[in-house]
Amino acid sequence: MRRIVGLTLVVLLACGAVAQGDPVRTITVLSQPQAAAPYEYQSIQLVANAWRQLGIDVEIQVSPWEQLSDIVWFNRQTWDATGWQMVGRPERSDPDEIVFNLFHSSTAEAGFNFVGYNNPAYDAVAEAQRVATDLDERQRLIYEAQAIIDQDQVYAFLVYPESIYAYRSDVWNPDSIVEQSGIGIKNTWTFIEAEPIGSQRDMVLNSNFVVQAINPLYISGSVDSWITELVWDRLLRVGPDGLPVPWSAESYEWIDDVTIDVVLRAGMTWHDGEPVTVEDVVFSFEAAGGGEAPMYTPFVSAIADIEIRDERTVRFTLTRPQAAFLTASLAKINLIPRHIWEPVLTDLQGQPENAESYQEDVPVGSGPFTFVRWRASEEVVLAANPNHWAAPKMDRWILRMIPNVEATLGALRSGELNFLAAYPGDPAVLAATARGNPIEVVASTDIGFRFVAFNHRRPPFDDAAFRRALSQAINRDLIIDAAYNDFATAANSPVSIALEFWNNPDVAGFETGMDLARQTLADAGYVLVDGRLHYPTGVSETLGR
Amino acid sequence: MRRLGSRLAQMVFVLWAVATILFLIFRLMPGNPLAAYIDPNFTVEQQRELMQRFGLDRPLHEQYVLYLGNLLRGDLGDSFFYRAPVTKLIWEVFPNTIALTLFALLIAYTVGTLGGIVLAWLRGTWVEGVTIPLVLTTRAAPEFWLGMLLLAVFSFNLGWFPSGGANSAGASFDSELARFLSLDFLRHLFLPATALAIYLHGLPLLLMRSNMLDVLQEDFVTMAKMKGLSHWTILVRHAARNALLPVVTAFAVGIGYSIGGNVVIETVFSWPGLGRLLVRAVSASDYPLAQGAFLVIAAVIVVMNFIADMLYSTLDPRVAHER
Repeated sequence: MRRIVGLTLVVLLACGAVAQGDPVRTITVLSQPQAAAPYEYQSIQLVANAWRQLGIDVEIQVSPWEQLSDIVWFNRQTWDATGWQMVGRPERSDPDEIVFNLFHSSTAEAGFNFVGYNNPAYDAVAEAQRVATDLDERQRLIYEAQAIIDQDQVYAFLVYPESIYAYRSDVWNPDSIVEQSGIGIKNTWTFIEAEPIGSQRDMVLNSNFVVQAINPLYISGSVDSWITELVWDRLLRVGPDGLPVPWSAESYEWIDDVTIDVVLRAGMTWHDGEPVTVEDVVFSFEAAGGGEAPMYTPFVSAIADIEIRDERTVRFTLTRPQAAFLTASLAKINLIPRHIWEPVLTDLQGQPENAESYQEDVPVGSGPFTFVRWRASEEVVLAANPNHWAAPKMDRWILRMIPNVEATLGALRSGELNFLAAYPGDPAVLAATARGNPIEVVASTDIGFRFVAFNHRRPPFDDAAFRRALSQAINRDLIIDAAYNDFATAANSPVSIALEFWNNPDVAGFETGMDLARQTLADAGYVLVDGRLHYPTGVSETLGR
Repeated sequence: MRRLGSRLAQMVFVLWAVATILFLIFRLMPGNPLAAYIDPNFTVEQQRELMQRFGLDRPLHEQYVLYLGNLLRGDLGDSFFYRAPVTKLIWEVFPNTIALTLFALLIAYTVGTLGGIVLAWLRGTWVEGVTIPLVLTTRAAPEFWLGMLLLAVFSFNLGWFPSGGANSAGASFDSELARFLSLDFLRHLFLPATALAIYLHGLPLLLMRSNMLDVLQEDFVTMAKMKGLSHWTILVRHAARNALLPVVTAFAVGIGYSIGGNVVIETVFSWPGLGRLLVRAVSASDYPLAQGAFLVIAAVIVVMNFIADMLYSTLDPRVAHER
């Protein structure tokens, strides 16, 4: 029997030209517009060109972010491939959010696995790393997850961009500027440590985006989180090296796999003068899980019970071991004053609104900065909290909303700004502005990454070999050079090289090249006819021409 | 009095029509307002809850009735994006926009009107040959280019003016009024208002000039010349007063249009105004805020048109008689 099949195959192969499936339809790739995201737009142009050389008809469809995300996120059956990015956030210093949420099949329908990747073997690894409390064991699992993602080429990873920030070295002591791994110099540690040299004691920094809300129970825009991190304390904070360190907690101790005791630092006060108590801590975690703060609920879902042991000790009991608990929960939940929020939350119960739509006139936390003023589309002013145990060295922290990139550079040069906290423009122009001025530019590799997402729900993207070939066809060095002005590093893993402990160095050697890509396609049975790529034998196009 | 009544009824009708069109436009636009708030940790239930909270799960006609009812009570709703009342958000930036617009229009119309008179007088001379193309150029020049030019020269290079914003970083004031009257505010206002004025002054100038040329042909001017009045008296006391009427209308209507049309200038100069708020709201599908902002702009335009009408018949009784 086997011989007959083999013989038939030989005959079929001998027949040659007729042994092919339908031509592959025109593939549509989505991208943000050049004006809004020049890096992405240019990368996608280069990617599309490479794919065309493989014999695929590629069309680029450009739409603004709001409409793009509407298609990609809410109409998951309708698109082929899209440029996309994951941004770096301190809590992504733990790889769990990326390894689990992005690729686990349970989040494919409506969650973060928007490409619809479904691999039971991967699911098992992603689940296992969640409960692995032994660091080395977990590292092995995270490595394995990356190896599977590499094998399957779930995305075509493009680059880890470098985040670029700058500051006036005649205003801030360069030794006091802290670079946080994977985040850059714009971080809470810098804002606390930055030491003024002369009479300018206010840090004036810019944002090209408006502030949406200043609310400890609402994860709003990314700029907003710069503020919440300063006004509110957390039990732990993600340190400059990317690992969690005690903050409002003086110390913590694992009793067993699912029990942890946290000792609160003594003598802390809220900005209104009231003392910070263990009751406040318990309240903060209960508020996050209480239904009025839906965005924080996932971060406390692993907590089964919180118990007050004495007036400075709180015991958390977990439903199951959770490796990322320190980063994802203790370093994530803002500590909020019970005397202020309890009446608010009680009031909100039974109303359609939740805590996300509640804006305090004067937000009160216990953090190193106190709130002074917020004028929408103009500025947010915070003042150093001298009563904090880690009191900042600057006087005020003033965030200016400046939508105009050129004006931002002008203001940095004139000293109106002394810390460049957001720069969407050309790095070369920034470097030119800095030359001859006391301006220090700091570029650091980001936790975030940019990639082309394949929609696994739609053939031929369900075929790993096809995805691999498309990924191999992309010349990442060209993209880094042309689209990123060399301010990026080639990527082949969702865990950034900035996360040194977690990044699997073995997958970095992903081989690329047009010939290799053609070979991969040929090996998988794809055939070129008159320059047009066709499916393997017997496979027909199910999604139009 | 009856005329006033019917004009008021017309105004209400226009505003209702604008409100209805706005309501429809934003709901027929592609894009889902939720897309602006996607978070990795949102579940389907949370998305549904969000839709419900914004009232987006109800049929269109119910949303419409709700919307009109709220409007009548002066409630513009809550912004999806900021989760705050639209009236509060608009009110925060509206005074800045008014200040910028009025200041720029005053400069533009003072310079424009006087310039128009002078140019009508100098008709046919070399001054006209040079000035008219120059004025046309400023009208054709893109605002952002003009703005960047002013910034580059007066802020970045000479350092005379700040590079953006309505106040210095961290400046605080006892009251809004104190803020508007402060030197700091005026220093920040100068460049954007100048840029806007340069852009706007062409209209009154050309309008005034051509009106003057018309008026100077009229019998009463010939009459005045025959009476032996001085050139200057004829020009200012007689001709200019008559030629001014359309310029007054243009001024009133100009306020209305400029209120919403300052987006470019506001962006170039980081001016916290209505235009920037509006652009952000539209791109984020923030229906209530965009509707509210457009409605305020429409209201200003309608009211200004009304005032222009009334002024016209007061300044020139002939207009009222002819009806």
